[in-house]
Amino acid sequence: MLIHFLKPAIQVIGLALFFATASVAQTLQVSIIDSEGNPIADAVAELIVLQEAPQEALQVATQQNQAERTTTRIHDIDQIDKEFVPNVTAIAAGEQVSFPNSDDILHHVYSFSSARTFNIPLYGRGDSNDYAEQFPLTGVIEIGCNIHDWMLAYIYVGESDRVAISDQSGIALIQNISPGNYEYNVWHARAAGGEDSQLRSVDIIAGETTVQEVVLELARDRRIRRAPSANRQRYR
Amino acid sequence: MTSFKQLFAFRSFRTRLVVFLLALLIPVLGGIFYYVNTNNTDYTEETINTYLALGADVFDYTRAQQASTLQSITSSLTWDYGFRTAFGANAPATLFDAALNVLERSLGSVDMLMIVDLESMVIIDTQLQGFDQLQGDWLTLVATADQSADGIANAIVTIDAHPFQLIALPLYLPRQVAWIIGGFALDSDFVGQVKETIRSEVSIVRVSGEGGRDNSARLEVIASTLSPSRQAMLGEQLRISGATVSGLQRIDFIDAEFTTLLRPLYGESTGPIQVLAVIQRSYDENNENVVQFEALLIRFYGVILVVSLLAVLLLGRSIANPLTRLAQVVRRIEAGDYQMQAAVTSQDELGALATSVNSMAVGLAEKEKVRDLLGKVVSHQIAEELLNNPVELGGEERMVTVLFSDIRGFTSFCEGLPPQQVLGELNRVLSTVSDIIEKHHGVVDKFQGDAVMALFGAPVQSENDAPNAMQAALEIIRALEKMDSSLGACVGINTGLVVAGNLGSSSRLNYSVIGDAVNLAARLESLTRLYNVPNIVSEESMQHAPQYAYREIDEVRVAGKRQSVKMFELMGRREELHAAQLEEIDRFQAALALYRQKNWKAANEEFSALQQACENKLLCQVFLDRIAFFEVNPPAADWQGVFTFDKK
Repeated sequence: MLIHFLKPAIQVIGLALFFATASVAQTLQVSIIDSEGNPIADAVAELIVLQEAPQEALQVATQQNQAERTTTRIHDIDQIDKEFVPNVTAIAAGEQVSFPNSDDILHHVYSFSSARTFNIPLYGRGDSNDYAEQFPLTGVIEIGCNIHDWMLAYIYVGESDRVAISDQSGIALIQNISPGNYEYNVWHARAAGGEDSQLRSVDIIAGETTVQEVVLELARDRRIRRAPSANRQRYR
Repeated sequence: MTSFKQLFAFRSFRTRLVVFLLALLIPVLGGIFYYVNTNNTDYTEETINTYLALGADVFDYTRAQQASTLQSITSSLTWDYGFRTAFGANAPATLFDAALNVLERSLGSVDMLMIVDLESMVIIDTQLQGFDQLQGDWLTLVATADQSADGIANAIVTIDAHPFQLIALPLYLPRQVAWIIGGFALDSDFVGQVKETIRSEVSIVRVSGEGGRDNSARLEVIASTLSPSRQAMLGEQLRISGATVSGLQRIDFIDAEFTTLLRPLYGESTGPIQVLAVIQRSYDENNENVVQFEALLIRFYGVILVVSLLAVLLLGRSIANPLTRLAQVVRRIEAGDYQMQAAVTSQDELGALATSVNSMAVGLAEKEKVRDLLGKVVSHQIAEELLNNPVELGGEERMVTVLFSDIRGFTSFCEGLPPQQVLGELNRVLSTVSDIIEKHHGVVDKFQGDAVMALFGAPVQSENDAPNAMQAALEIIRALEKMDSSLGACVGINTGLVVAGNLGSSSRLNYSVIGDAVNLAARLESLTRLYNVPNIVSEESMQHAPQYAYREIDEVRVAGKRQSVKMFELMGRREELHAAQLEEIDRFQAALALYRQKNWKAANEEFSALQQACENKLLCQVFLDRIAFFEVNPPAADWQGVFTFDKK
């Protein structure tokens, strides 16, 4: 009975406890390797929440998160020594990315990707610090520099912020997941099959770290190589 | 072997020299020519090969340069932000205009551009070929580029019958979003440009179908600096196979021969070769210097040969002419003209030979003179014997018939004649006698006054020595009687062992014979006067010539000899005697038998009768006188009819 009366309170407390324990225990660990077993860094894993498993609290939390992020979170893709840093950025739809220029020369950032086409014409160091592009649609946006052909960066726009980028050991961690059945997507710039073909199913069990291993077939990386002469540091 | 010898049995010294010279010169000159020719030909080929290899390299370089330019221009297109924006805006008409812009600005380095999306769909094509989806060579090009590490591929593709060198590159935005294909035409402008640099003919041929060793594949000349007729010949003659691509070929353009090098334009893989560059250089043009040099060499050889032949002919003449003259001289000398003298024209071996020939002629003349004189002094046979055998003292035992002949009545014959004429008459008579002796193979040993001593059987022996002597004696007697009635011959003949040889001292000697047989012959000759017979022959000689008839005259013992000797008168050849003569011989024999039996009375009667009947009355008188003497002074009891002469 007490429990009945206290139900709202317990729910709140339970939820709090749940979050407390989930933040510790319910984690999806995706280990991404290539066909030869080598770890793949800079791959993106995104947990996709199935609609048949409504999780009120999660939804609330997610909405809160989204609302919070749309207003607060701005990711940086810096340009250092004529390279985009970081190379891969994973964001949730609606978040913003700014492209500061840390070099002494001008850059011209552009994207012709269908998820977001934009270009920021030539600008120098500090010129664009207060400017950020917003990416409302999910998908992969390829960012280039019109001056430096080899400069290439990827922005993975997921549905939510439950996205993670694999580290050098090929491990991407998505934390704070409620137990249940999910699908997750694994993307890599060189992975065959495009953005959406890597959906996999996973059961997240309460109090455990669910480990998934994903083997990606990597296509040959054809891109414009940075010419040795481009490393000249004359204008720095 | 015989034919080989015959082949080199030259009749003329000059021919021998010429053949020798040619045999010496031709291999040497030929060898030099062959060596020079081979080296020059090698050098020419090497030069051509170098030129062609260089040409092929330049061709490749030019093409690579063009391709590089093409790549630069094409890839720089992808940098153009306007172009990128137009691509991003999905505005093909704008892209097409941009591409045409590039073509115009490339100054001929880019002749076509095409943009294809990653699904091989054509976005724009400046050549307006009209296909939407890549196929065939185009698809292969893009697939090849896609397979390569840097996404670049080259190919040669025919557009409207013109070959285009194509390059496919990815269009990055910033990752690859499309393929840009740029191309330039491998047309006559291009090969002309290469020819400007390498000064060799350049063609581009395309092999349609499977290239095979049998050249069944069809060859198509798609661009060339050659004339159209030569292009046709090139298409007919060019062989395309793995081996010929790496090697060199000769293409005969009827009026000129071209060395040909093939260079595949792409496709170093094992697949069938499709397009090749053909670099050609005129062999004759490069060989021109060599040909000129060879012509010069041949002219030089001609001069060498002519000069050498002239020199050899002159040399031959200078040797053969004196030799011919010498040979003529020697032939004259051989014929007996010892007065012939060869002209000594030089101081060399020929001069020495001529001098020797002259000396020889003098020597021969002297020898002939000696022979002639010898033949006169001694008999011909002895002269030969002396000339042909070493002249040494000493001799050998021989059975010889010796004939002594004397002239009876010569003194009275010469009475009243001056001495000079006497000698002339004597020589005439002796010549007659000597001729007769020599005619019957006798040898006059010596003349002694009007007497002649002759030998039959020395120095040359024969079967008929004794009969020859008999015949000679008969003829001498007849000849002298014929010469003058007052003359007569006395002949004594004996046969026996004598010593024949050179007698005398080492500085002066005679070929003669000595021995009792000689003495007896002389003795018999001297007895002819006593018995009044023309000749007396010993029993030994008679036995050696049985074909003649003889009359036994007497048996005597000459002074100083114990052995008695039977003496015979040679009457003539048996068949030539008359019956009366034979009867007289028998009667004389019978009378002689009575005399030997000391039957003086009967013997006397018989000889007296004979004396009446026969001509030789003096012979019978000799016996009649003896019978008269013995009748008064009878001989010893053991007397057997041998009459002894006490004095010589």
